[in-house]
Amino acid sequence: MALLDLITSPDEAVRNRSLDAACADLPLDALLAEADALDDFRRGSDNLYHRVRALLFLHSIHRFHLPRLLAAEKPGAIPFKGYENLLERRFEEAIDLFLKQQRESGPGDAISSALAAAYQKLAFQTLADQVRRSVRSVSGNQWMFRMGHPADQPLRLRKELLVRDPASGLYPVLRERTPVRMDLTHCGWSDIFFLGMDYPDGAKVLNISVDLAVHGRDKEPSPPVEASLRVIEQPVLRLTSVDLGCTAEISSLNEVFDFAKDYLGLLKAAVIASGIVPPGIEGSGQSLADLLERVVGPGLGLELVSNVNNIPKGSRLAVSTNLLAALIGACMRATGQASSLTGGLAEDERRIVLARALLGEWIGGSGGGWQDSGGVWPGMKLITGTVAREGDPEFGISRGRLMPNHRILDHDDAPAAAREKLQNSLVLVHGGMAQNVGPILEMVTEKYLLRSEPEWSARQETHGVLDRILAALKSGDVPAIGAATMENFNGPIQTIIPWAGNLYTQTLIDKTRAAFGKDFWGFWMLGGMAGGGMGFIFAPERKAEGQEFLQQLMSETKRTLAAALPFAMEPVVYDFAINERGTWADLLTGSEALMPSGYYRFVVPTLLRMDRQQLGAPRLAELDQFAAACRKRPDLNGMVQKLFDSIFPHSGENSGNRDTLDALLAKYGFDRVMHEQIRDDLKAGRIGLAQNRLPANSVIEDVRESDLANSANLTAAHRERGLKALKNGEVAVVTLAAGAGSRWTQGAGVVKALHPFCKLGGRHRSFVETHLAKSRKVSQLCGTPLPHIFTTSYFSHEPTRRFLDQHDQFGYQGPLLLSEGKSIGLRTVPTVRDLRFAWEEMPQQTLDVQQQKVRDSLRTALIGWAESTGEASDYTDNLPQQCLHPVGHWYEVPNLLRNGTLAALLEERPQLKTLVLHNIDTVGMNVDPALLGHHLESGAGLTFEVITRRLEDRGGGLALVNGHPQLVEGLAMPREEDEFHLTYYNSNTCWIDIDALLAAFKLTRADLKDAAKVTAAIRALAARMPTYITLKDVKKRWGHGQEDVFPVCQFEKLWVDMSQLSSIQTRYVAVPRLRGQQLKDPAQLDGWLRDGSAAYLESLCEWE
Amino acid sequence: MKVTKAVITAAGKNQRTLPLQTLVDRDGVPKSALAILAGEITAAGIGEIAVVVCPGDEDAYAAAAGPFARQMRFIPQAEPLGYGHAVHCAAGFTGDDPFLLTVGDHLYTSRTEKSCTAQLLETAEAGKCPVSAVQATHESKLPYYGSIGGRRVAGSERLYEIETVIEKPTPTEAEQKLVVPGLRAGNYLCFFGIHVLVPSVMETLGRQLAAGRADLSSALAETARRERYLAHELLGRRHDLDLHYGLLATQLALGLAGKDRDEVLSLLVELLAQSNA
Repeated sequence: MALLDLITSPDEAVRNRSLDAACADLPLDALLAEADALDDFRRGSDNLYHRVRALLFLHSIHRFHLPRLLAAEKPGAIPFKGYENLLERRFEEAIDLFLKQQRESGPGDAISSALAAAYQKLAFQTLADQVRRSVRSVSGNQWMFRMGHPADQPLRLRKELLVRDPASGLYPVLRERTPVRMDLTHCGWSDIFFLGMDYPDGAKVLNISVDLAVHGRDKEPSPPVEASLRVIEQPVLRLTSVDLGCTAEISSLNEVFDFAKDYLGLLKAAVIASGIVPPGIEGSGQSLADLLERVVGPGLGLELVSNVNNIPKGSRLAVSTNLLAALIGACMRATGQASSLTGGLAEDERRIVLARALLGEWIGGSGGGWQDSGGVWPGMKLITGTVAREGDPEFGISRGRLMPNHRILDHDDAPAAAREKLQNSLVLVHGGMAQNVGPILEMVTEKYLLRSEPEWSARQETHGVLDRILAALKSGDVPAIGAATMENFNGPIQTIIPWAGNLYTQTLIDKTRAAFGKDFWGFWMLGGMAGGGMGFIFAPERKAEGQEFLQQLMSETKRTLAAALPFAMEPVVYDFAINERGTWADLLTGSEALMPSGYYRFVVPTLLRMDRQQLGAPRLAELDQFAAACRKRPDLNGMVQKLFDSIFPHSGENSGNRDTLDALLAKYGFDRVMHEQIRDDLKAGRIGLAQNRLPANSVIEDVRESDLANSANLTAAHRERGLKALKNGEVAVVTLAAGAGSRWTQGAGVVKALHPFCKLGGRHRSFVETHLAKSRKVSQLCGTPLPHIFTTSYFSHEPTRRFLDQHDQFGYQGPLLLSEGKSIGLRTVPTVRDLRFAWEEMPQQTLDVQQQKVRDSLRTALIGWAESTGEASDYTDNLPQQCLHPVGHWYEVPNLLRNGTLAALLEERPQLKTLVLHNIDTVGMNVDPALLGHHLESGAGLTFEVITRRLEDRGGGLALVNGHPQLVEGLAMPREEDEFHLTYYNSNTCWIDIDALLAAFKLTRADLKDAAKVTAAIRALAARMPTYITLKDVKKRWGHGQEDVFPVCQFEKLWVDMSQLSSIQTRYVAVPRLRGQQLKDPAQLDGWLRDGSAAYLESLCEWE
Repeated sequence: MKVTKAVITAAGKNQRTLPLQTLVDRDGVPKSALAILAGEITAAGIGEIAVVVCPGDEDAYAAAAGPFARQMRFIPQAEPLGYGHAVHCAAGFTGDDPFLLTVGDHLYTSRTEKSCTAQLLETAEAGKCPVSAVQATHESKLPYYGSIGGRRVAGSERLYEIETVIEKPTPTEAEQKLVVPGLRAGNYLCFFGIHVLVPSVMETLGRQLAAGRADLSSALAETARRERYLAHELLGRRHDLDLHYGLLATQLALGLAGKDRDEVLSLLVELLAQSNA
């Protein structure tokens, strides 16, 4: 059967067949022919979902099926122009160039990797474009895109809001309070727009509106988000986010559309999506004051305030979407777009608020699921995808509508007693983890469209789970609900996405079950992935105990795992109540017309500093009323003290950070003199991103076959020789484990080595445990325990030591050593020159239009930050650990010499001759006897392992530099395109002959005891190594789970540059991809599991 | 259905003096706006006109009506209770008869031989049902008008079956409920200011008044729900005297549509030339 049939067959059973199964037995030629047919088809088809499925089929073929068959072929090259097109989102052009290359040079692993990436990106772009088109074409949203002049603005503020109270002098405040939403089913992510629009029958969720309180802190649950709107006597938009502590008076239209300039993006998106500043007016050059005059009146403006009652970000309760909906709701009521000024909303009004929230998310460059605005609706509702009918904008394009249907469950579907029981059993928590769910949503979509087995079966199972939950709700059988959600988590959810769970969640579940036994009825994962918002269902009589238990358990577990997993905040337990009203508005008038109390804590100090004359009558009246309210209203108790504290912060509050940082710098031997030199050089432009590069006249060419060996050609003799050396105890492993893995957690500052990245051998395993398991297996093979050294840094040493102790060194029998880093750097604020170089001179992944706008705006803000903070000044405004940096893995080998680790090991086993150095994320490497034998036989000082390049392997490679083979770091490439001529990518696994290494340092084994001589030797060689300036993203956490990412500057020296030295003989060997590839980004994990890499790794491990 | 009665409302507190303003009509004769309007109504075959006015304005209106005063009666609106109430003040006058309803501060120019009023009466009499004149209006003007949703009557270019009526809708509501196929995007059918209505409308207004406040648009929405109710996109233009420069614009429109067109054009050109100098 042709693969096309899986897309076009009239028989649903055929369309639902898995692509993987259909490709499994196809030979290379047949698969290539199928790919050609699919490409022709997708170019000609006018059916959106046919096109998208064909694109994802092509992605899958090039990513998973062809590489399997192409292993023996020439790797080939990727045209740089195609790569540029890919970055600039010109996917069609990129695909054409890659296919041309494939036709001309024959199929190969490299070109397939490029095609896989291009097809996948085009598929998701096509889907995203369609969703966006639908959002714009929803009826009620379209007019806003046609409006380009203030004179065309048809909205008018309701009269009720324009009348100042004669007694208090205040304008009324329209306050919208909105619950958040829980998804009681976890729907297998069926609320992703792409799924809902292609598979409306499968898109079903049970969504509940809830009020929240933080257990032990707040008195009782209340709607977690609120928006307040009022008229002000200035022709501006005054936007204030109480929760993010940010306010701005906006007087130009351009500022309204500048989303990332401050923390007011959500409020701006609401003002735009509600039509007050319609999207069509962006870039018109018109005046905001004129527009406001039209809507509000001459000389008047609007103030919009958002407030989240201290519920953290990442709670998986759609806090941001519901806040956006609350803001939009208030703006729409105020402009007559909802007929109800106060109270609840009618169904048609709720639907238009949903449509606008979807628009607002798109405008703000984010995007949630279609159930996320569920808090707008009351109580419990079944939200389902809807088949598009004639007249719908989606009709003829996608099977489903963009907007789902909401059926509010009545008391027959869910009797009051059942609701009560559920509230009495369910403990809601926020585990404190913050993770990027984006890649998971893409994985889910892809697997759905490929109908991958067993994911497709798992998706069918989720429907059964929903039915069971609905039945249990009807009968008030909460234990059955618990059983169903638990089963859902263990079964379908983790089948579809293994990464939905993690060690933290699993630990919580296991320990809760152990403590509560049959009284723990089930676990329930909220939203995209576990670790943030979660539910635990207990027997009602033990719920209170469960709350206390979970608070303690989460805090303890977090402490244990804090270095390994990205926690954004301290875990919390919530009290919650089902909100039976949905979003609700009140008009506060007279002396009640005040903003939320947090608003005053934030703005009053500024107002008090202003001259009374400048404040104006309404502000003065407001301050009077607020002062009066502070005396009378119990909820404002203590406000005066809080205000006082805001005006006069405690002295010494901010000095602690600097003290700790200085102590750490002193402890780790920070070289202040060198640091000052680097700062001066940075400021003067002597070093920087542009200066990392080799001279522009360097000739960079691909290596010749004779320049390296190939592991495929190794013989039994090599293996024998290697085994013999191993048996004799001549080898030790050195794992580079000093780094934070910036890409792994987007700068969250956890120790990557300790991250439990994957379930292997039946449970979650960290990188450290995995590497030890491979060494254990080699030790067993050769009969001699293999010494294993982990190099650490100021940052990873203590956590790694504790981690190994906690796990009894994982029972490792050989010597297990930590080589503590003795070098440290202090990050600096980047120079504007380097920021511009990174963002403007280097090829960049262009984002989707709206996201790109947000990114551009953010970058402007970051350039402003660098200028105002001081270019190349010390970066100290963060946790001390985030201000320091390891100075590159070149230092980790000299550290072995300096800290005595190597000397001690040599003393214990003088026969030690070879070290195998490798990155923490090169999980497929091991001490392979044949490669060892090859290294020994070659007599090289260093043997680097390289792999054939794929598109994602960026960062340099093996090259002939002016005729001499050496590894070139990506940062040093004189021209971006040079890298694309190189066949081999550096895996950074390096076999080191100890004596040759010492000789390069001009040392002998005996010298290792002479600390002064060793230090001098290291300094001398370090001076010959290039210094690279890099920008790293660092997270700064604040508030309740909020995070900002700053690009900061640091310097590095890298091990690959040893290959430039003439004083040590360096050789190269090509190894299979499974061995040499690195795991840099969690988004790689799914492909890594599917393409056999994980199975390969398991084959190298011995866990016990 | 023969329409013999007309109701002109002129009791709005900002509009009281507008019908009394003098303009030069299409024939070059200076007349009050009220007389121009009454002339169009009587020329279309209606013999009786009721003008709803503010108490005390009767004499001034009678004087302004000139020769048409004989066919007119003046009904004072005792209290300013809104437009729906003003219309209902004429309920005793209209009785069981269909009637033409128009506003005193609008004048109309037709693009055909038939006046706008005549076009509308012809449609009502042929269709035997109430009819409102409508005009495709850009969404930016929605805050000023009542607007209808409906579908085109098969075989007719300018007639629509009204399904709903909303007073001053927001564009959001208009886009959801008032889109009429065949119109340009962002345009809606808004009331033109002339209607032929039936006694049931007065009954509905009466019921509304008894319950509190009367509102003509919701009474018309009820008419649309209850019986056949048409909208006619007339070949003509309305001119609102109440707008900024409304009198000037109306005068120019009348001048350009009438026998003095060349004179008015010359006047305009001369003014333009002088203002440039």
